[in-house]
Amino acid sequence: MSETFTCGDHGALVSYLYDECAPNERRAISAHVAICRECAEELTSLGATREQLATWTPPEAQLGFRIVSDSPSSTVLRPSRWWQKPMPAWAQAAAAALIFATGVTLGALRGVTSPSDHGPTGSVPQQADATTPAASTTSVTKADLAALEQRLRSELSQVRSTSSTVSTSNTSDTAAAGPGDARIIERVRALIQDSEQRQQRELALRTAEVVRDFDAQRKDDLSRIERTMGQMDGTTGVEVAQQRQMLNYLMRVSQRGQ
Amino acid sequence: MTLTDDELVARSMGGDAESFNQLILRWERPIYALAYRVIGREEDARDVCQETFLRAFRALPGFKGQAKFSSWLYRIALNLCRDWIRRQRRAPVMQMPEGVDPGELAAESGPVESIEDLVGRRQLSAVVERAMALLPEEQRTAIILKEYHGMTFQEIADMQGCPLSTVKTRLYQGLTVLRRQLEKNGQMTPQLVKRS
Repeated sequence: MSETFTCGDHGALVSYLYDECAPNERRAISAHVAICRECAEELTSLGATREQLATWTPPEAQLGFRIVSDSPSSTVLRPSRWWQKPMPAWAQAAAAALIFATGVTLGALRGVTSPSDHGPTGSVPQQADATTPAASTTSVTKADLAALEQRLRSELSQVRSTSSTVSTSNTSDTAAAGPGDARIIERVRALIQDSEQRQQRELALRTAEVVRDFDAQRKDDLSRIERTMGQMDGTTGVEVAQQRQMLNYLMRVSQRGQ
Repeated sequence: MTLTDDELVARSMGGDAESFNQLILRWERPIYALAYRVIGREEDARDVCQETFLRAFRALPGFKGQAKFSSWLYRIALNLCRDWIRRQRRAPVMQMPEGVDPGELAAESGPVESIEDLVGRRQLSAVVERAMALLPEEQRTAIILKEYHGMTFQEIADMQGCPLSTVKTRLYQGLTVLRRQLEKNGQMTPQLVKRS
């Protein structure tokens, strides 16, 4: 490597920047940079650019590829679990549409099914029919509504009693649980807490983004308003000047007439 | 006991698929990161990553061990990236920051980082990504291999099939263009550059 360094030797500067040059070359460049302001600035700015590059991180991806066959000729490389793959947006939309369509179809089918199709425990329309046999399937009477209300109340009371029983048994289970169960419960609680913290953080992040966007938009709007006001001022000034000229003209004409 | 790449390669060549799976586990993240930074699309980067290991496994009997296993993998991945870019016949499209899940990003970051810092870092990352997308493929690849994979000039020269001096020129030109782009986007302030 050379003992001297000449300005404009970008290759040598890059070697120096990445610390990949021979000691004598490094000494030569160091000595030059100490006296050459241009090269020193160049090195500083290239170093700063490298620092910025460090902020670029690729998004997290679920990989986990595995060889699933021992024979290299017939091997198939697949991610370990197909359901771990991120679902593409079009597939998510299609699935949502399918579920929605299925729900709508089922709802429509239930609406048009005859009362005789329902089982002995029956659904709401069948209950209505049982209390008011003469009523048609499309019209709803007060008796239907009363029967529906009564049924809903009874179901609600059943649900309440069941949930209170479950919560009581859960409490007793927790108390009677061994140390292993207690650890699991603690772990679950910790996971829930983590999740809540993550959600709070996400909310705060989104809020900060919204505030920033809003602020930028506000500044933009203000500058636009200022520009518009300036234009209006200019226009108004021109109109006032024209009116003054017109008045002067009229005054002169009227004075001549007198 | 952790086996070296060479030991795992030897076992894989002896027919032990599990050893190759360990190599995959060890190298899939760097290969995915390389592919993503070169081609700029998450899904395609995953495909390139998968295809890289598939090709490596199939070509394993022909691997002579003259180069490091990782260099060999990088070379396969870069060739696949080049093929992808040729197929696209256009500049890579970088994903916008909206594609990044801020929740995950927040979860990854340490508790000491404020929300403002996090937002700023994310924006800066997006600006760097866009600036990198503007570089010619050779310059971009040289910078990626040097900055994010710590390769030497000689390794990059071998990888790109060009003289060592060309690698340095590509790095210099690429960094210079990036600096201008970042300055234009207000990411390189005079204080940061320390111009006197």
